Amino acid sequence: MSALKNCKVLELAEGVAGEYCGKLLADFGADVIKIERPGSGSPTRALGPFAASGPDGERSGLFAYLNTNKHSVTLDLSSAAGRATLARLVERVDVVIDDHASGWLKDVGLDPERIAEQRPALVLCAITAYGQNPPEDRVHAEDLNVFHASGWGYHTPSGARDDQPPLKGAGRFMASYEAALEAALCIAAALYERDESKLGRFIDIAKQQVLASRVDYVLGQMAAGDMDVSVDRGAFDLHGPAGIFACRDGYAYIWMSAPGHWDALARLLGHPDWMKAFPERWLERECTPERVALVRGHIAAWLKTQNKDEAAAAGQKLGLTLVAVNNAGDLRASPQYAFRGFFADVDHPVLGTVTHPTVPYRLGATPARIASPAPLLGEHSAAWLAGLAGSANA
Amino acid sequence: MSTIARGGPLQGVRVVELTKVWAGPYVGKLLAFLGAEVIRVESLGSIDVTRSFGVADINKAPGFQAVNPQKLSVQIDMKTPQGVALILDLLRKSDVLVENLRPGAVKRLGLGYDAVKAARPDIVYVSMGMHGSEGPLSYQTGYAPCFAALGGVSALVGHEGEAPAGMNVRYADSTFGAAAAYAATVALLHRRRTGTGQFIDVSAVECMTSMIGDTVMDFSLNGAIHACDGNRHPDMAPHGVYRCQNDEWLSLAVASDAGWCALAEVMGHPEWATHPQVRTLADRKAHEAELDRLIAGWTADRDAAQLALELQRRGIAAAKSRSSVDLVADPHLWARGFFREVQDAAGAARTIVGPSWKMTRDAAIGDAAPRLGEHNAYVFGEILGLSEAAQRELADTGIAH
Repeated sequence: MSALKNCKVLELAEGVAGEYCGKLLADFGADVIKIERPGSGSPTRALGPFAASGPDGERSGLFAYLNTNKHSVTLDLSSAAGRATLARLVERVDVVIDDHASGWLKDVGLDPERIAEQRPALVLCAITAYGQNPPEDRVHAEDLNVFHASGWGYHTPSGARDDQPPLKGAGRFMASYEAALEAALCIAAALYERDESKLGRFIDIAKQQVLASRVDYVLGQMAAGDMDVSVDRGAFDLHGPAGIFACRDGYAYIWMSAPGHWDALARLLGHPDWMKAFPERWLERECTPERVALVRGHIAAWLKTQNKDEAAAAGQKLGLTLVAVNNAGDLRASPQYAFRGFFADVDHPVLGTVTHPTVPYRLGATPARIASPAPLLGEHSAAWLAGLAGSANA
Repeated sequence: MSTIARGGPLQGVRVVELTKVWAGPYVGKLLAFLGAEVIRVESLGSIDVTRSFGVADINKAPGFQAVNPQKLSVQIDMKTPQGVALILDLLRKSDVLVENLRPGAVKRLGLGYDAVKAARPDIVYVSMGMHGSEGPLSYQTGYAPCFAALGGVSALVGHEGEAPAGMNVRYADSTFGAAAAYAATVALLHRRRTGTGQFIDVSAVECMTSMIGDTVMDFSLNGAIHACDGNRHPDMAPHGVYRCQNDEWLSLAVASDAGWCALAEVMGHPEWATHPQVRTLADRKAHEAELDRLIAGWTADRDAAQLALELQRRGIAAAKSRSSVDLVADPHLWARGFFREVQDAAGAARTIVGPSWKMTRDAAIGDAAPRLGEHNAYVFGEILGLSEAAQRELADTGIAH
């Protein structure tokens, strides 16, 4: 059976953060009802990647990915009637997920400050850029801004050049995905306690803080005064020859911090003369910029002649932490991903059969599962709203 | 404080950690912040390297203290049969086990899932590995940047037309830990409802792929393989990071034509709002490089924080790119309890990174990271019910070392 079977979730979110949070719950079997605006539906329906054909609003691969296993109910929350229906729907669920700006929930009748008295058993989770009631210098934000407000932006990439700007991270939505994961964790924990106490709670997730907390190892030391703070873009960096190098068929990443790594590299390269000039344990004790540059030069020249997966396999067998820099195509071809069943084919009425990435954890008794594709806009409105009318008449 | 009720959603849950470095300990930290009692099993013979980085005193290691607040520490040498038996006794009284030792290590120690399940049939057993615990590549090992490289993240981070540069080297361990913590919590809920525990196998590399799921979908739908695109965004323009006064940087994202009108006005060029070359998103995408140059020229002699405020007042998404000084001095992070003070065993105050979330009826968080073996007496005496003589023997024979 599914772990979150019998959990009823109402998703008011219209962004990637809230929708991914809903997906994380839905793929474990939670019953997620997604409220969509009539006409255009969720704004993520208008974001790519798109399938080549199909009606607008139903061919977004982003929406298809984020909304597996959910039900779609259209409801106009700008009308009083819509908000009255929403209030009745809220009575029937355990969890509400939102990711609109602070203040929006109150406008639709779910004031976070009054929810404990109004609906004591409800778990209400709001994901925003900076938390509820933000100060005036952080009211408007996209994921790029949050990524940069969190410290990750300023310090990405490692070893940045002064004449180039700091970067946005990978893809479009890192801040949203990270916040969604944290929100799902808090919701699951809240449901765990609620089974006994019968009490819900309000959960306030701020993307900036989720991202900043992901560098707690460094930021904690800085806050405690154990590590210097500065305007140095390399303040989070580690030193040494580690890095990404070009190969014959792409790129590989090599990590090197301990004598074992150095010895493994020597064995892999057949103990070349240039390595013999390095003192013992130089990586830990005498890691000078000159030595790092020299090593990087030799590694670059060698890897240029190698294929990434073969070099990685040979290095790993000797104890060298050398890995391929994979792209989406490499992941689809990965024997490891195939072994773990990371990809799943999902049949969608408009997109056809599409291979989805799934979740990174395998649960022996209650695996996550995609039982149904993302819903068409309003696909479940009639069933849900009729059920509601039935109960109102009863 | 650690051994008394702290409240929070996971109050009453006991977690045992057999973990090293960052990703495994991060799971315990999140669960502890949610109210669980989290016990690290440690021993001098296989001490976590983060207890010794940069310091002589293993009880004062800054890195260890950053990731292990609000936990307990018990000394048990898991390389001895008596130590393993003691850990199994502890697991009989625990709910969750988290391990991120080298592939296969727990099995060799006699602490694999089958052995633990025999002792505690409904245990939630969380196993963490770069590639998960099984499979053709599970023998491979690596550190955080290897996870990001293998999982498809690194290939997307870099300047346009250049080789990938990758995320900051610190990225990946904590994300891996957060995913494992979520899975563990879901399994706890399932156990509460059915009485059944389970084995959870988490892959660090797949955690990274989860952070770029939409990019992977583009490959599935269209065969697209994305190259590094600097700070570009397919649905927004301008979308970038621009140099300001004193080498500070401003992030700026315009998601709509209305946002573009507002920006044009702030920049003193209201006529750009209706200029045929930049009026719509498609127009602006076509002239993105030129727009970036214009904006960079405009921001160059301005103060990043003040400019962000000015843009915010016009409804534009902008934020200063924060350095480590900016972060530690951020009043918003202090006001929300993100940074907070805890106390160590000697009563000294220490600042930590607290939970990312705020929630009603949350768990109290008051303890700094534990000294090695700080909670031996609690674990051996109160949890396992060993007499003082038996506890002394554990110390004398080196089992509790």
